[in-house]
Amino acid sequence: MKKMAFAAVALALGMSGPARADAVLVLNSDEASFSILTRSGRTELARLPVGREPHHLLVTPDGKEVLVGSTVTNELLVLDAKTGERRRVVRDIIDPYHLGFSPNGKWFVTAAYRLDHVDIYRGEDFKLAGRIFIDGLPSHMAFDAESKTVFVTLQQTGRLVAFDLQTQAIKWNVKVGEAPAGVVMLPDNKRLLVALTGADGLVVVDPKDGSTTGTLQTGKGAHNFFPKGDGRHYFLGNRVEGTVSLIDTQDMKVVGSIRVPGGPDCMDITPDGKELWVTQRFLRRIAVVDIEQMKMVASIPVGKSPHGVLMLKSGATGSAVAPVRAASTAGDQK
Amino acid sequence: MRQLIDIWIDAQTWLFETFVGPVLFRFGLMAWYEPGYSAVEFVMLGVVQIAIIAIGMRFFEKRWPLEKSSSDDRLILVDQVYTLLNKLGILPLAIFIVTYPLVQEIELTVRTWGFAPPRLERVLPWLGDNALASFLVYFVLYDFAAYWLHRAQHGFAWWWSLHSLHHSQRRMTVWTDDRNHVIDDLLITLALVLFSQVVGVQPGEYVLILMIGRLVESWSHANVDMGFGWLGDRLLVGPRFHRLHHALSTPEERHIQDHNFAPVFPIWDILFGTAVYDGKHRPTGVDDPIVDGDNGRGWIAQQVTVFGRFMRSLVPGLRRASVQ
Repeated sequence: MKKMAFAAVALALGMSGPARADAVLVLNSDEASFSILTRSGRTELARLPVGREPHHLLVTPDGKEVLVGSTVTNELLVLDAKTGERRRVVRDIIDPYHLGFSPNGKWFVTAAYRLDHVDIYRGEDFKLAGRIFIDGLPSHMAFDAESKTVFVTLQQTGRLVAFDLQTQAIKWNVKVGEAPAGVVMLPDNKRLLVALTGADGLVVVDPKDGSTTGTLQTGKGAHNFFPKGDGRHYFLGNRVEGTVSLIDTQDMKVVGSIRVPGGPDCMDITPDGKELWVTQRFLRRIAVVDIEQMKMVASIPVGKSPHGVLMLKSGATGSAVAPVRAASTAGDQK
Repeated sequence: MRQLIDIWIDAQTWLFETFVGPVLFRFGLMAWYEPGYSAVEFVMLGVVQIAIIAIGMRFFEKRWPLEKSSSDDRLILVDQVYTLLNKLGILPLAIFIVTYPLVQEIELTVRTWGFAPPRLERVLPWLGDNALASFLVYFVLYDFAAYWLHRAQHGFAWWWSLHSLHHSQRRMTVWTDDRNHVIDDLLITLALVLFSQVVGVQPGEYVLILMIGRLVESWSHANVDMGFGWLGDRLLVGPRFHRLHHALSTPEERHIQDHNFAPVFPIWDILFGTAVYDGKHRPTGVDDPIVDGDNGRGWIAQQVTVFGRFMRSLVPGLRRASVQ
């Protein structure tokens, strides 16, 4: 069975450049597996085991590997970014719920959601530089452009915390609203957007001191961002309302809304920029949204509680794979 | 098959998004959004279990009853209340609310010492790639822990004061398995959750183990004289095997209940010398008139009475006085 699964993966990923470029990885967080789908066929090709409670994944700065955080086994499972095969396991990465590399690749950060700590590792060898215990369910993260600061949301206590990457000291720790989750640094490096899952929109935060400079209503359960790719528009999933909003960050207004039922969570965009793929946690599916039409055009069955999703951008060679430096949920670094 | 799964998922999603999700959102409990969704499935699985018991297992009890219908049939009603409270998630939710902070605190404390509990996959890496083998290994380990906890329930006077409620039923049926004092349930849950965390049972597996295990246990309490054959009875606990564990003690067999403890896999009783396969039919219940007084009481009265018994057992000098 396992051999058949890998054969299917090989068919999808191993034949040619275009074929490899067609793959999508989805983490099924409640059944310890990941699904491999084809974008063109919109079908699941294979489902392979991966750790325990995998939630988020990201491509390494060199584009050669995909890291999957296995939260219960305290490991990073390293997959080949071209073939999807497992290469190795990085042990003793405790409760790696959300993952991110700083833009310069020097730092690797994990948010231990269940165990209430933020870990800062050296990006080159995953050596722990500092572990900061902090109450409140560390949830998602974003980095500043200079790779000096990581910003982490605390979902339970409603706070956003800025950590100095070099010293691992807390720069500031402020209340931003109910259940903050997704956080993204805008390209101007002067505004952080924080999604409030316990409310119905986002807040704009000044990365210098954490002060709130604006708000925007999007939908109940605003949870996570993904950049459209033009440096100006961002998608934001509203989990309770079952919609995805399109936000113009220049005018700070909602310019579109798409119905995506089933608790929409993580997102990624096809390399041609035409489709947005959104995990539907409750429905055990992944939705395909036509961005031009702004509507859901397909919903593909995957495993239980699908969470992180990642498009292999080209898959042809390591250098051709678009570097994705933050987890698929923190699309700001993409 | 996919259609059936879709119906199940659609029902779960509708129930969650209509009743549970809005409440969590309204009261600022979004950190519990995913667990809330899982809880809905737990309740749905509970309904399935109740249906299996009420339709499937009861068929065998009605068709081939071991003990014929009698005036004691009325004693079954309270066991049905226990089953509903448990399977529909009402008692498990209460127990979860009480135990979660403690379990979390223990894990966090251990973690601040810099100690990460070893997971079984470290010792047996192949488990990570084989879902069925992984499930079976964890199931066996879980049952091993449950076996020793069950022995502790009988071995400590204070714990027996709680667990005796389970044994006091004279009319043992498929409904009897859930008949336990809430403190007894709480202690067992706490111990098994901690054990599961240490060895690495993941939540999805835990729920499945719980569901399959409890169904086997419901069946093992059935009022039928059935087994799985010579070999089967040594692989899986059935009614004939477990009924002996509930047997009324006599002067000749004062410790008869200190046998056949295993919840699901009899191998533990065989390995540790507590297995008895003699095929004899014995009445069930306890020979302690105070404990036997549980029969005829309702759910609340049983809980209150047994709590009093528990408190008295904590007073030094008092010892188990039932089946010794």
